[in-house]
Amino acid sequence: MSGIPLSWWLTLGTVLFGVGTIGVLTRRNALVVFMSIELMLNAVNLILLAFARQRGDEHGHVLAFFIIAVAAAEAAVGLAIILSVFRHKRSVNLDDVRALKH
Amino acid sequence: MEQVIFWILAIGTVASSVAVIVPPMGRNPVHGALSLVVAFFFLAGLYVMLVAHLVAVLQVLIYAGAIVVLFLFVIMLLNIQSEDLGHPRPTISKLIGVIAVGFVSIVLIGFILKDKGMAEPPVGLPSDSTFGTVKTVGNLLYTSYIVPFELTSILLLVAVIGAVIMAKRRL
Amino acid sequence: MLDSQIEYIPVLIMLAICSAAIGGMLTLNFLLGPKRKNAIKNAPFESGEKQIHSPKRRFSVKFYLVGIFFIVFDIEAVFLFPWATLYRQWLRDPAFAWVAFGEMFLFLGILSLGLVYVWRRGALEWD
Repeated sequence: MSGIPLSWWLTLGTVLFGVGTIGVLTRRNALVVFMSIELMLNAVNLILLAFARQRGDEHGHVLAFFIIAVAAAEAAVGLAIILSVFRHKRSVNLDDVRALKH
Repeated sequence: MEQVIFWILAIGTVASSVAVIVPPMGRNPVHGALSLVVAFFFLAGLYVMLVAHLVAVLQVLIYAGAIVVLFLFVIMLLNIQSEDLGHPRPTISKLIGVIAVGFVSIVLIGFILKDKGMAEPPVGLPSDSTFGTVKTVGNLLYTSYIVPFELTSILLLVAVIGAVIMAKRRL
Repeated sequence: MLDSQIEYIPVLIMLAICSAAIGGMLTLNFLLGPKRKNAIKNAPFESGEKQIHSPKRRFSVKFYLVGIFFIVFDIEAVFLFPWATLYRQWLRDPAFAWVAFGEMFLFLGILSLGLVYVWRRGALEWD
């Protein structure tokens, strides 16, 4: 596979990261915000793998492996937080969670 | 040929990830989670194009197979009706956020496309290369990365304990 | 194309066949199927029992705990998988084979602490 230059992969990764960031900023449903964070992590993985391919160096693959493992742990804990917030507030709207704000 | 596959996968990835966050699909979190699965499958295809076989398998196995299942579990546990969420209000701060993200992304993409070094094709691999296979990546993982590997187990331990404490009603 | 990538062509063919079959069935159903929309046709169990309550109710949080255990032990299995494919190759060097065995033993040991914890906390019981 030699046809695709690095810049295309980086552009795709940037677009994906931007989509994820816009999701985090605009959506107020905590679950959708979490899905957007997963998208951002995937964009970073894509960029890591693109650099690994460009340089013929597999260390990026190991990093992507760890990112996936960390993302799984993050999803487990984050969703548990959403569950317990829902239990107290009866809502997953992030605008209702403001105990630390004032 | 390669470029055709790349464009199909890239457009599929971007379209399905936009569907996660844009209201018509993302309004219902179940639809959002399912388009997330589609996005992960397209990304796995892109990883295969990048000769990252192990990571592509992990993407399907862990992301599409486990993490999204957990999302669907939580959506069903909470069972949020769409009227509970209220209508999304486009506020000025959200607009500023979207404009800022778009601006930064466009500037970044401009720099990426202008750079000469990034337009070069990647290093050539022999056609029987073992790049990115389970054995070669595993060899790195269990030799150079022993410490992060053991730390991952501690992270998972903490994640289990934290999740159990927060999710279990009576302890 | 590398040899290792050519092995994915059967997967692509499989995907194409599956999407063609599903898409074909859905479009044919949409084009040819009779459509009579009324309240009785739209009931979940046509000419069956009436619904007692909505199926959209909250599930117990116990399912979520099972989900968490699944994800954590899934990651554990994923880390075990490259190790298992490589172990026979490492056996040629007994000193390193012991190191590899020890690191995986430590990994599994730390994770089984988590299992002991949830067991003692009673999170595995379906009360």
